Amino acid sequence: MSTNPHLLPTAGARQTWSELLAEFRRLPGLSAAAVALLVAASASGLVAPFVLGRLVDDVVAGAGTDRIVRWACVIGAAAVVAGVLTAAGAAVSARLGETVLARLRERVLDRALHLPSATLERAGTGDLVARAGDDVAVVTTAITGIGPLMLGAVLTIVLTAAGLFTLDWRLGLAGLIAAPAYVLALRWYLPQSTPYYAQERITTGERSQAMAGALHGAATVRAYGTEDVHVARIADRSAAARDLSLTVFGIFTRFGLRINRSEFIGLGSVLVAGFLLVRADAVTVGAATAAALYFHRLFNPIGLILMEFDAVMQAGASLARLVGVASLPAAAVPTNDLEVQDHEAALSVTVRRHHYEDGPTVLEDVTLTLAAGERVALVGASGAGKSTLAAIAAGIIAASDGEARLRGVPLNDLGEVRVRKEIALVSQEVHVFAGPLADDLRLARPDADDTEIEKALDRVGATGWLRALPDGLATHVGEGGHRLTAAQAQQLALARLILADPAVAVLDEATAEAGSAGARDLDRAAAAATEGRTTLIVAHRLIQAADADRILVLDHGRVVEQGTHAELLAAGGRYGHLWQSWNGGASS
Amino acid sequence: MTAAGEPSAGSVTRRILRRQRARIGVSVVFLCSHQAAEALVPVMIGVVIDRAVATSDTRALLISLAGLALLFTVLTFSYFFGARLGYAAVENESHHTRVEIAGRALDPRGLRSGLRDGELLSITASDAELSSLVIRAAGIAAAATTALVVSAIALLVVDVPLGLGVLIGVPVVVFALQRLAPLLTRRSEAQQEALATTTALAVDLVSGLRVLRGIGAQDHAARRYAAASAHALGVTLRAANSKGLHLGLTTAVNGLFLATVAGFAGWLALRGRLSVGELVAVVGLAQFIAEPVGTLGWCVQLFATAKASAGRVARVLEAEPLVTPGSAGAGKATDTRLALDEVRYGNLDGVSLRVGAGEIVGLVAYDPRDADALVTLLSGRVPRDDYHGTVRVDGVAAETLTLDAGRGTVLVEQHDVALFEGTLRSNLGASHSDDALLTALRSAGAEDVLDAHPDGLERELVERGANLSGGQRQRIGLARALAAAPPILVLHDPTTSVDAVTEGLVADGITAARGAAPHGTLVITSSPALLRAAHRVTVLDGGRVVAEGTHDALAAADARYREAVLR
Repeated sequence: MSTNPHLLPTAGARQTWSELLAEFRRLPGLSAAAVALLVAASASGLVAPFVLGRLVDDVVAGAGTDRIVRWACVIGAAAVVAGVLTAAGAAVSARLGETVLARLRERVLDRALHLPSATLERAGTGDLVARAGDDVAVVTTAITGIGPLMLGAVLTIVLTAAGLFTLDWRLGLAGLIAAPAYVLALRWYLPQSTPYYAQERITTGERSQAMAGALHGAATVRAYGTEDVHVARIADRSAAARDLSLTVFGIFTRFGLRINRSEFIGLGSVLVAGFLLVRADAVTVGAATAAALYFHRLFNPIGLILMEFDAVMQAGASLARLVGVASLPAAAVPTNDLEVQDHEAALSVTVRRHHYEDGPTVLEDVTLTLAAGERVALVGASGAGKSTLAAIAAGIIAASDGEARLRGVPLNDLGEVRVRKEIALVSQEVHVFAGPLADDLRLARPDADDTEIEKALDRVGATGWLRALPDGLATHVGEGGHRLTAAQAQQLALARLILADPAVAVLDEATAEAGSAGARDLDRAAAAATEGRTTLIVAHRLIQAADADRILVLDHGRVVEQGTHAELLAAGGRYGHLWQSWNGGASS
Repeated sequence: MTAAGEPSAGSVTRRILRRQRARIGVSVVFLCSHQAAEALVPVMIGVVIDRAVATSDTRALLISLAGLALLFTVLTFSYFFGARLGYAAVENESHHTRVEIAGRALDPRGLRSGLRDGELLSITASDAELSSLVIRAAGIAAAATTALVVSAIALLVVDVPLGLGVLIGVPVVVFALQRLAPLLTRRSEAQQEALATTTALAVDLVSGLRVLRGIGAQDHAARRYAAASAHALGVTLRAANSKGLHLGLTTAVNGLFLATVAGFAGWLALRGRLSVGELVAVVGLAQFIAEPVGTLGWCVQLFATAKASAGRVARVLEAEPLVTPGSAGAGKATDTRLALDEVRYGNLDGVSLRVGAGEIVGLVAYDPRDADALVTLLSGRVPRDDYHGTVRVDGVAAETLTLDAGRGTVLVEQHDVALFEGTLRSNLGASHSDDALLTALRSAGAEDVLDAHPDGLERELVERGANLSGGQRQRIGLARALAAAPPILVLHDPTTSVDAVTEGLVADGITAARGAAPHGTLVITSSPALLRAAHRVTVLDGGRVVAEGTHDALAAADARYREAVLR
């Protein structure tokens, strides 16, 4: 189950932007309101420094008290207006950004869940999990957390710069002198820090991994007395992560030095320009004061933008990966026009030859036909091709040369959605979905009531432990909840199968990892869950084969024996030998 | 946290501050100097306007610009050194705490903390770091106070009534605004929780994608996620509304306050009590001073976070060990190596059991809980007070043994085999010779793991051995136990993921490795191949021994036994 990160698409910059803009265009009223409110809010924030400049002029000119009172009232009124606009702007822009984000993440998950089997089998779930989890979280943090701050900062900078130019274009130019210094600071910082940030995430990950591994295996660590080795490894990893953090912060503080230097350059040149312009009688002392105050006001927003710059770049990269998945075509609508009538063969598979990619042939000349309600077991050593044959029969993978048919209709023609409703596969991969136990089972049938769920659990023999659960069906299971044993998780998988109620069931080594006592219960559970269904079962434990109507023995991708348990034992072939050695030599 | 946890939080916090006191001290001085310089920037702007711009005096301009440059130099380097030292203190302390927690979590005697693995992990991952944030909070609080003091002095020097007005007005305004904070905090906590739930749901669903696809449940899953996402959106928007309200209110109130100060200062300047520069400085300071006041409010939250985390750290660091080892050394190897008498623990209801030297004893438990209780007990993870009866190792009561003697004599290899990141060799036991390892691997039927890879024993395993199959992991666990060659070995279901042919090989391997004195071996299993290899078999049901004998005798005479093991 390898993961190749290049198999899922990543959007280019242009595609990312156009998808985003398209989303915004779907909410035209909200988008227009957000832009208007934010611009107006920032503009009203500029009134105060401008008025303060006029106030200074009036003080210098020795104007009357009423002028001062008037300016104070203007600042106050502007403050109230700015407050109202800011509140409304923040609320409206959040509504816009968050709605677009929610739509995007829902689309990403929908596409991820409906990824065609072929793509999923080649790409693995690793990258998909990272996109649905990490990337969505990164973009969410950016939009919800730093998004409004960045937006506010950008608007403040643009409007303050406009304000500076309105006071006097030469004062504006003086302020711009700082721009190259800021840009240089950023261009020094980004190439320095970016590789370290990536490395920092890796070392932090390795640190938690060492800790998680040791805690997970604490009983083994204690049994073998290897505590020191593990604590030393955790200490090493922790120290490495700490050293890297210190290096990264060191770079950051040197970036801080450069930002402060840029601030001084800008403030100094505005003051010098003010001095020269006042001396030349081109501007008033008040205008020079306002310019200096304007520039002082820029310190925080510029600093914010520069310091959050790499977070924004990361969010951009994550966004591109999300848009890549979101742009995949939606799942095909099931083609219901194909009539699937009763047919003598409920399921038939013909594989002339099958191989993975450029690999060796794993199946050759295999024909398998299951009559309705028949139970067929596949037996063979690992690598014999059992799981591959099961996956082809279930329509999870397509044979390189060959096909599978459901009641005579090729699976390819039925389409994935239809196939999944008819043929269920319980694979080796066990997963307990986090949340209440009932919710896990309702994934198989959303409208199932508690009685149906309990009945399904009872049929797979889970009533005993269900009663022992602290909150019954409402008990939180899975990640972060009540831990179920491997056998219990398998019983859940079988209960889901009962609820999904397909005509055909394919079971692949479903009982392999259970403990010895649990395995027997699971055999019974599997028999109960597949009762009345056409069943293909990959038998890891031979007892599963003994109960089947028919057994296929595979070896190196070919069928070498076929028949009932009794027939094969009587024939004394490969199956007979397996049965003897497995039973410890005792006859049954 | 309970009230009883608070003194511990305090002691953890005090220890953090004490251990880093040198770094913290110097860092605080620098950070204070940085904030003082920040406070003086608006004052300096006023000075430049007053002395140079208003007078057109070039010399004054050069002097005041030099002053501004000096101020920026102090400001920038104070931050540079102060922040670095403070950061180093936090990082070193988090590292320290993390390693301490790891040491306690892996204490050989176990830990009576009542914490689950996940909680322990989150304590090392986040609380170790958050508890150290008390250092940052202390530094920032000191610096903000300095900024306030400097601003206060500057204001009072300019004009006493005006200064007093600003100094009283700003904190009143800031604290009034902070009264709204609880509402904000509550909403943003709800928001973070909803978003975290949504992310977790996405990860969970996609991780189980193959399972979902197997039963055609992708549509249901997508709908469930959409519902969670819509709920998160609703919560986020409510939080955004109150955040917006808070932001707007802050903007309006700060602006109104500025208008008042500007009006009053302007009036004073008109009457000649303030120069133009002083007017600029006062207005600048009135704006600046809101920053340190707000920072102080934030520090209170930071302290609260750090303290809560320190409490959780204390729960681990101050937890009692689970068991108290005794002082007796291991006894001399006797004929009966392991003896349980009338043991009652968990599901076990009076179990007596012997494992002799050179003996392999099979144990069949009809109820898996019996096996689990026995394994837990023999692993030495049960305090003496929690079980009845006696467990003796070579005639010595198990609870009186020292830690090393206990672990050196009885080894339990769990059913759920735990492997670790490292090489195959480091997992099997780095101190064993190559020959010993190869023999153990052969006995465990695990040679394929070695042969399948060009690096052989140096083959890299990822965490939890996830790059091996379940069956390979199980056999490596068995090989590890055989290589350790302990006097008494307990194996729990060692071949559940092993195919029939290999299982036979493993049975032979265990006989070869453990079948002679002085070894004693207990194999909990229902595998007929392993039970046949055992010298005798004990059967547990309902916490009691219900049958004993050889596998063949039991299989011939006992229908229940036959059903349980002859599959």
